[in-house]
Amino acid sequence: MRQVGSPALMWSLAGAVMAFLYLPIALVVLFSFNSGESLGLPFEGFSLRWYGEVLENRQILRAALNAFLVAIASTVVAVVFGLPTAIALDRYDFPGKSVFRRIVLLPIVLPGIITGVALLGFFVMMRIPLSLWTIILGLGTALICIVVTEVFARLQQVGRSQAEAARNLGANEIEIFFRVTLPAISSALIGAMLIAFSIALDELAITYLLTGRDNTLPMQLWSMLRRQVTPEINAIATLVVLVSLVLVTVGMVLSRGRGRRGP
Amino acid sequence: MASSIDTQDLVKAYPRRHRHETPPLAADHINLSIRAGEFVSLLGSSGCGKTTTLRMIAGLETPTSGRILEDARDITDTAPEERDMRMVFQDYALFPNLTVAQNVAFGLTLRRARRRFPGSEVKRRVGQFLEIVRMEGFADRKPHQLSGGQRQRVALARALVTEPAVVLFDEPLGALDAGLRRDMQFELKRLHSEFGTTFIYVTHDQEEALGMSDRIAVMRAGRVEQIGTPEEVYNAPVNRYVGAFMGKTNILTGSVLGPQKGHLQVRLASGADLAGTAAAAVSPGAEVGVMVRADRLAPVPDSAADSALQAKVRERLFVGAQIEYLLALPNGESLVMNRPAGEPLLETGQQVALTIGPADVRILTS
Amino acid sequence: MTAVPERAAASRRRGAGLSAQARDRRRLTLWLLPPALWFFVFMIIPYLIMLHYSLGRMDDLRFIPDISLGNFVKIFTVEPYASVILQSAQNGLMTAVFSTLLAYPVALVMALHMKSERARFFMHILIILPWWASYLVKVYAWRTILGSSGLVNSGLLSLGAISEPLEFLLYSRFSVVLTLTYIFTPFAILSIYAQLERIPTSLIEAARNLGASDWEIFRRVILPMSLPGVLAGGVITFSLGFGDFVAPVLVGGPEDLMINNIVINLLGVSLDRPLGSAIGVVIVALAAVLLTVANWAERRTQVRV
Repeated sequence: MRQVGSPALMWSLAGAVMAFLYLPIALVVLFSFNSGESLGLPFEGFSLRWYGEVLENRQILRAALNAFLVAIASTVVAVVFGLPTAIALDRYDFPGKSVFRRIVLLPIVLPGIITGVALLGFFVMMRIPLSLWTIILGLGTALICIVVTEVFARLQQVGRSQAEAARNLGANEIEIFFRVTLPAISSALIGAMLIAFSIALDELAITYLLTGRDNTLPMQLWSMLRRQVTPEINAIATLVVLVSLVLVTVGMVLSRGRGRRGP
Repeated sequence: MASSIDTQDLVKAYPRRHRHETPPLAADHINLSIRAGEFVSLLGSSGCGKTTTLRMIAGLETPTSGRILEDARDITDTAPEERDMRMVFQDYALFPNLTVAQNVAFGLTLRRARRRFPGSEVKRRVGQFLEIVRMEGFADRKPHQLSGGQRQRVALARALVTEPAVVLFDEPLGALDAGLRRDMQFELKRLHSEFGTTFIYVTHDQEEALGMSDRIAVMRAGRVEQIGTPEEVYNAPVNRYVGAFMGKTNILTGSVLGPQKGHLQVRLASGADLAGTAAAAVSPGAEVGVMVRADRLAPVPDSAADSALQAKVRERLFVGAQIEYLLALPNGESLVMNRPAGEPLLETGQQVALTIGPADVRILTS
Repeated sequence: MTAVPERAAASRRRGAGLSAQARDRRRLTLWLLPPALWFFVFMIIPYLIMLHYSLGRMDDLRFIPDISLGNFVKIFTVEPYASVILQSAQNGLMTAVFSTLLAYPVALVMALHMKSERARFFMHILIILPWWASYLVKVYAWRTILGSSGLVNSGLLSLGAISEPLEFLLYSRFSVVLTLTYIFTPFAILSIYAQLERIPTSLIEAARNLGASDWEIFRRVILPMSLPGVLAGGVITFSLGFGDFVAPVLVGGPEDLMINNIVINLLGVSLDRPLGSAIGVVIVALAAVLLTVANWAERRTQVRV
C-alpha cells in the first residue's frame, strides 16, 4: 500500500490547489460571455456579444494572423535545429557535450527577456531591422529546447537497438533516419511542435523586444491590457486559452501518452 | 555461402571516466577462429565480454585494438551495414511501426539490396522465410500483437532472409520461458543445418550452449578461458571456473601423489585417494582442485574398496527426475551427488561409500 | 597466411579509407554542425555582444567600447538598481516558497494516492495545462479578481464585510507574489512529483511494517527523498520569478519596478544599453549558477515541462 496520510485530507488539499489553478482562468472564460459592460460582477446575462466585437476588430484579426505565421515559422526553426540536436545528444559522446547541452537548455531557466535583450543587441549591431522575421529568429531559438527535451526523452525511451538493427540489416544513415528513427519519434515530435507552437502564439517577452512595425497578438493584448481594459479582452483571452489548451492537450497525448503505453 | 570469422587480439576498453584511470577491458585480447558453417557459442556470465565481442564482430562496437577477419579479409574498418552478417537481438529490435512482413522485408528493400532483390523476389522471399519460421499466418500483424516467442521467430526470419554469410545471436532466448526455449533450440539447430550458415551465439545458459553448439568458447572477465567441443568443455575443463560453470560439480581440495597406470593419483584433503586426468602438467606434491561431477558419483556397498570416498548424508532433496544429496566428507567439505529417482533412497545421517571412475575425475591446477 | 595483411591493406584502401571512428565523427558532424552553428550565431554571439556592451559606456547617445566593470558596480551599489535587484530576489524567493508549499500536497496525492497509470497521466495533463496556458491571460485574470471592482472586493462589499474596496489587493507586492506563485505552481508540482514517483512502494510498506506512523513515514522517508525535486523546482521557480517583468507591470504597484522593467526602461526610454546589458549579463550568470546548483539534483529529477 502506497497511500500515506488520510486520503480525505490529502485529496481536499490537492483539490483546493487544483481549484486555485483553474478558477482564475474559468472566471475569465465565464465573464467573456457576460452581456454587460463590466469586467466582473455582476453577471448580467449570457451573450456572445464580445466575441462578435473581437471578430469585427480588424486590428486584432491582423495581429492574430501575424501571430499564427510567426508561431508556424518559429516552430519550423525549432524542429529543424532541435531534432538533430536531440539525435546528436542521444547517440554520440563528444567533447564539450555537457556544456553544449546546458547552452541548449538555458532558455528553459532563463527569463525570455534576456534572450530578447541579447538578440536585440545583436540585431542592432548587425543593422538588421526589427520585423516579424526577427521575432521568428528569437522565438525559434528559445523554442529549440522544447523540441530537444521531448525528442531526446523519446529517443532514450526507444533505445538504440532499433537503429542498430537497421544498420545491421544494411541501412545507411539516411535510410535509418527516415525508416526507423523518424517513425519512432514522430508522435513525440508532433507533440513538441504543438507545444512549441502554442508557446510561440502568446510569448510576450521576446516578442516585445523584437517586434518591429507589425504587431502580433501578444503585443496587441499587452497594449490593450496596459490601457483601460474592455470586456472584449475576456473574449480574446478565452480564445487564446482555448487554442493553447487544445494544442497542448493533443501535444501531450501524442508525445507522452502513446509512448508510455507502447510496446 | 558461409564465411569464417577470425578475431586477432581483439581488445575493447570501456571509456575512461577519469583521466588517470586505466580503463577496464570489456574484451581482453580475444582470439577466436570460427570455421565457415560452424555453430559457435560464446558462453559466460553477464559482464564477461561475450556480447561486446559479438557486437565488435557485427561492427556495432568499435574495437580499441585488434582485427577481425572474414574469410581472411580484414573487415575491422568495414561499416556494419556493409558486413554480410545479420544479428538477432536480445530484445528482438523489431520495428514497431512495421508489420511482420515489412519487418522481414526491411533488409531486402534497402538501397544496398535493391538490385539483388527485385520487388517480386522480395515478396516471394518474405513468404518463404515466414514459412520457414512458421509465422506465415502473421504477415500483417504488428510486433506488439505477437508473443515473445513469435517476435523471436520474426527476428530470426528477418536475419535469415538475405541469406547472410554469418548470423549473430545475442542471447536470443533470454526472455522466453523454459518450454519455449527448448522448442527454439531445436528450431535453431534445424535452421543451422538447413542453411549451413556460420552461427555465432552468445548465451549465459550452459545447457543451451552444450545442446546446440559445434564448439563453445567459455569467457570470463574479457578473456576466453577455454574453447572446444561441448564434450571437451564439459568433461575436460581447463580450470575450476570452466568446470564450475558447466554444470553441477564439486571441486575438492587435494594434492598430487604421482602418475599411476596412465592416470594421475591425488590424495584428497578428506583422506581418500582418487585417480583422474589432469588439465595441465603437475608435479607431485602440488595443491590442486579435484573436480567430481555430481551426476557421476555413485554409492557402493559399504564393504567395497577402501579407496572409495566415505561420506555422510546431510540433506536429501527431491528435484523431479533426480534425487540430490548433500553429503559431508570427514574433513567437513561438502559434496553434492545426483542420483536417478528410481534408486533406493539414502537416509539423512546414513554413512555411504562412493565410487567414481578416473575418467570422471578432473584435476585442475587453476 | 602471409597474404592476409596485404589483402587487409588492400581492402582498407577500397573501403572509402575511413576507420570506424572517422565514420562516427563524420556522422556526428552531420547532426551537430547545423544546430551548433545556429546556437553560436543566435545565442553565443548575442550573449558576447551583450557582454561587450556591458563593459562599455554611453557618451552623448554614442556607445563607447571599453573594458570597465563600472556598470556592474553601478548595478550593485547605485539606487535604484541595487534595491530593485534585492526586491526582485525577494519576490522570486517568496514565489519559490509559496509555489512549493502549494505544490507538495498535489504532488503527494498524485504520486502516492493515485493508482492507475491512466489517472496519473490525466492528472499530469490537468496540471500542465495551466502552465502552458497563455501567460498574459493568467496575469490578466488576477487583475480582474483583485481589482477594486474585482471579484473579491465586490463580493466582500456585497456581503457587507467591508465598506470600501481593499486597496492592498491589487497593484501591490501581495498581488505580484500571488500572481507569480499562481503561474509557477504547476512547475513546482511536476518537479516534486518526478521525485516522489521514484520512491518505491516497498520502501513505504517496509517503513509501515516496521511500525512507523503516517507522519513518521512522511517525515523520515518521503520528505528526505523528495528534497532534490523540491530543490530543483525551487531553483527554477526562483529564477523565473526573479526575472519576470510582466506581472509587476500589470498587477504591481509603482514601487514594484522589478529588475526587468529597468531593462526595458533602459532599452526603450533612456537608451542606456550598456547598463541594461550589464543587468542581462548578471541574470545570465545567475541562471547559469542556478542551473549548475540544481544540476546534481537534476540527475535524479528530470522534469520535462
